[in-house]
Amino acid sequence: MTKYKTEPLKCWPKAKELRDKYYKDYATAHERGGIRWTGGAWSFDAIPYGLGDDVYPLTGEPYAASIAFNREFSLECLEATEAKGWARDLCSYMRNYWGSMYLNKFNFGGPYPRPTFAFQDHICCSHAKWYQVVSDYEKIPYFNIDVSVGPYHTVKDQPHKIQYIVDQMHQSIEFLEKVTGREYNDDKLIEAVKNDCRSTSTWAEICAMNKNIPAPLEEKTMYSLYVFGTLSKAKKEFADFYEELRDEVQDRVDRGIAAIEDERCRLMSDTQPPWGFLKVFRYLEGFGAISVGSLYTFGLIGAWEDKPDGSWGARTTPMQKGQAINTRDEALYTLAEWTLARPEWQHFYNPNLKTEMMLRIAKEWKLDGVMLHMNRGCEGLSCGIMENRLGLVEAGLPVMTFEGNMGDEREFDVGRTMARIDAFMETLELQPLTTA
Amino acid sequence: MITVGIDAGAKNIKITFLKDGEVIATGISPSGFDQNAASEALMNETLAKVGLTHSDVDVICSTGAGRKVVPGAKHVLTEVSAMARGSLFLRPDVRTVIDVGAEEGRAIRCNEAGKVEDFAVNEKCAAGSGAFTEAMARALEVSLEELGKLSLTSSASVPMNAQCAVFAESEVISLLHASTPKQDIAKAIHDAIASRIMSMCRRVGINPAIMLVGGVARNVGFVQSLRTAMEEEVFVPDNPEFVGSLGAALIAADREVETATA
Amino acid sequence: MFSKFETWYRDRHDYAKSWKEKTGGKVFGCFCSYVPEEILVAADILPVRVLGNHQPQDVTEPHLFGMFCPFCRDVLAQGLKGRYEYLDGITIAQSCIHLRQAYNSWENHVPSSFTYYLPHPMSVQTPAAVPYLKKELDNFREAVEKFIGKELTTADLDRGIQVLNENRAAMHELYSYRKGSNPQVTGLEAMWVTVSSMWIDKEEHTAELKRVLAELDSRTVERETGARLMFVGSENDDTDFIRMVESVGATVVVDDHCTGTRYFWNETPIMDDRMEALSKRYVERPACPAKDHVARTRFPHILQLARDFDAQGVILIQQKFCDPHEADMVPLRSYLEENGLPCLFLEFDVTVPLGPFRIRTEAFLEMIGEEDLF
Repeated sequence: MTKYKTEPLKCWPKAKELRDKYYKDYATAHERGGIRWTGGAWSFDAIPYGLGDDVYPLTGEPYAASIAFNREFSLECLEATEAKGWARDLCSYMRNYWGSMYLNKFNFGGPYPRPTFAFQDHICCSHAKWYQVVSDYEKIPYFNIDVSVGPYHTVKDQPHKIQYIVDQMHQSIEFLEKVTGREYNDDKLIEAVKNDCRSTSTWAEICAMNKNIPAPLEEKTMYSLYVFGTLSKAKKEFADFYEELRDEVQDRVDRGIAAIEDERCRLMSDTQPPWGFLKVFRYLEGFGAISVGSLYTFGLIGAWEDKPDGSWGARTTPMQKGQAINTRDEALYTLAEWTLARPEWQHFYNPNLKTEMMLRIAKEWKLDGVMLHMNRGCEGLSCGIMENRLGLVEAGLPVMTFEGNMGDEREFDVGRTMARIDAFMETLELQPLTTA
Repeated sequence: MITVGIDAGAKNIKITFLKDGEVIATGISPSGFDQNAASEALMNETLAKVGLTHSDVDVICSTGAGRKVVPGAKHVLTEVSAMARGSLFLRPDVRTVIDVGAEEGRAIRCNEAGKVEDFAVNEKCAAGSGAFTEAMARALEVSLEELGKLSLTSSASVPMNAQCAVFAESEVISLLHASTPKQDIAKAIHDAIASRIMSMCRRVGINPAIMLVGGVARNVGFVQSLRTAMEEEVFVPDNPEFVGSLGAALIAADREVETATA
Repeated sequence: MFSKFETWYRDRHDYAKSWKEKTGGKVFGCFCSYVPEEILVAADILPVRVLGNHQPQDVTEPHLFGMFCPFCRDVLAQGLKGRYEYLDGITIAQSCIHLRQAYNSWENHVPSSFTYYLPHPMSVQTPAAVPYLKKELDNFREAVEKFIGKELTTADLDRGIQVLNENRAAMHELYSYRKGSNPQVTGLEAMWVTVSSMWIDKEEHTAELKRVLAELDSRTVERETGARLMFVGSENDDTDFIRMVESVGATVVVDDHCTGTRYFWNETPIMDDRMEALSKRYVERPACPAKDHVARTRFPHILQLARDFDAQGVILIQQKFCDPHEADMVPLRSYLEENGLPCLFLEFDVTVPLGPFRIRTEAFLEMIGEEDLF
């Protein structure tokens, strides 16, 4: 007898189709006279949409994660990057991406589709350097926006911080017009900014539903869904999809549909998972344990705020507040301000800000423990992780750590990780369901 | 009641027979390539030693890296739980267990009930393990036993970086080139591993009493270096390599009692 | 001749403690060479760059994940072990993530009455950087004013700027003695001077440096110059390594390190708006690779230094796991080699394995030497 009823997500096939279409549209953009650009998952993708409706991004992190999932090709990419002399401990997303470029092979078939320009933002040491190398190798123009102005709570009273970003955004539009020869359309920018706010806020709404017991979603599934926010958060199709998904997840909650049948222990993870080894999450299910998310899945793209009842919930969009966005400057200002609140940007300045958010998740999502992936592949999200561990342990949460790499399977020891989980489950006094 | 604990380690398999809370036999043999067959052979050998047969054994509990392939095990447990249980049996006031085996080092913090509160395992690099001391002994061209004894004859403090095993080996070579006496290098090696283990222990916090278990606890040079680094007494049981199999046998007995009274 | 600098380098803590005793002043620990020391000097605060001590340690693992650079761990260890207990405050200017973590952990675990995280533009090439940094420097100045309990006047700032600029000018003069065919200053001596300038009262340092400069013209150099080398890379204050290199037939004539030329290379310009002048100085200084994008301004700058100082080869020094430098190493090496400068790449940890590094250095010197045959 299982504890809860479960069923597959109805919009799963649509998610798959949207993702496939994204990569296909990018690869074939030139056939339709469209524009291809590349940059980070955190790039202000709303800005290039002002060039027209036929603008297609290839964001490096999710693209590299898709390579990492394809272990054989990933190894080929990593080795191609190493053959050029790059260090093995650099960002593993970057190394997978560069490898695909050097090999001139696209993970979704055919050659690596050369972008027209690179458009990035910068908060970790590798961000701007990544596309510097792409720009050199592909001989394409490159624009980067520095967003590292300090944590969001210091931004409110200091308009110069947002102004610095907005100034760079204005320059970036001049850059885009110059390198594409197209005239920039502010109305399209304004629409894209609204889509960005809508998709990131709706994603947070979906994540907040996992506060329910049983959780309607487990983290492995969430990885396949949050990805749209990293592919192109300002794309209308994706913002619409998130609203559809939200309605379905709400329906699951209403009907008591669980992600796993025997939920009896609720966990969160941290940082990107080792993409080639998502079976770790399935292994947890064997103990009735579920990862209901993480600051990573919630806050990498999700937009959050304090709700009047003190809980953490989806951020109210400017549209919901009835704020008009009429000009280019207003749109850019809104975009910069909105994005600076991103939860996963805060720990870049102080690990304690992340610990506070994690403790808040532990409380509101009713967690029994935390699994920290000490991810050698990402200095940005592993930044401060040991201080986070100390903070969580001090607060009395059981914490396990496992070392690995999101995109370089050579640095992940699956056997030892499973052994670590076994030991953690023992400390939580959980026995495997099959022998119980 | 007779329970058996089998600790299928990376290098050796250890076995402990427990009868009503007393150890009646122990055995050890190399793990080899086939841990399943090696466990079975060791089981039969030890049974013969004490004049018992399979049917006399009530329950088997396995632990160690190869715990899932041990034949006949009713309970399967990680080393973390087994080491904690075994250590507290030997010394009830133990709160920190340090286990240094062939491939991994581990620090375990437990409470007075023997419940594991936190644990840390050395990450990725062999620099805090038995394999490391073996590699260093080879670099110095001495046996493992000599390495330990040599170390005790030195009072020098030569800094050596053991953040990475490869770097450490090149440092040993540098020291040899610089004609540093072998005993000082031996001590530097043990100080470096001790420092590495200390780093790991600090992650879980160090509460006395402290017990050092696992095969590397036999290395007198390392024990001395660890005691100095800890600035605390570090207890080493008589048979440190058997603490895991002892713990497994004890937990097997605990569980039988629980089932019987449930 | 350089013994005072050597002592200052070695006994940094003794100096700071006696400075405090003598002056009754405050001492701030600075975590990065982007900290605007002018503002601290204007406030009569002694800025002290926090560096490691190149000793293995076992205290940082609970705080810093092993994928981050050895330098940041070594720095944090100094704080956790109480070696900087005389500091009245700590501050960091934003540069790399690695060092930032050492600062954050220090702030969490080592009591300090003043801590300040100074956001600093990472894109120093955008025209938005100078006005932005000016505002951030205004904030920093206000925080310092609050700490000392008085406002800094233009005259105070001018004094800060002048003290720093004079030291920078003297450093340039010292480096000029490394340009000639028989350099009067070794790389090791220059390292003592440059690195100690990061924690010695700047006026005292400048005075001692001027005394040495006056004697340098008449200095007879008995050692063979050998191959003229340049050091380029991550933070480096390892005197054991440079001493070894200069003992096997080479002289280090110039460097591009944040503990070397990058620290003192450009002066603060004279401008009506002092804060804007400071902002310009820190935006326009030779860049750390963490801030060198989208154009690669470091490369031509490094090549120019190599040419000005007549370097025959470059030792590329990288702290293990240092992402910003790793992201520059491959194109930098090709660039230098294409421009006729052979390179030796070495990865540094808290301690360096001198034996194997000596062999590699000697092989490199042989390789450079052979080129003279053709």
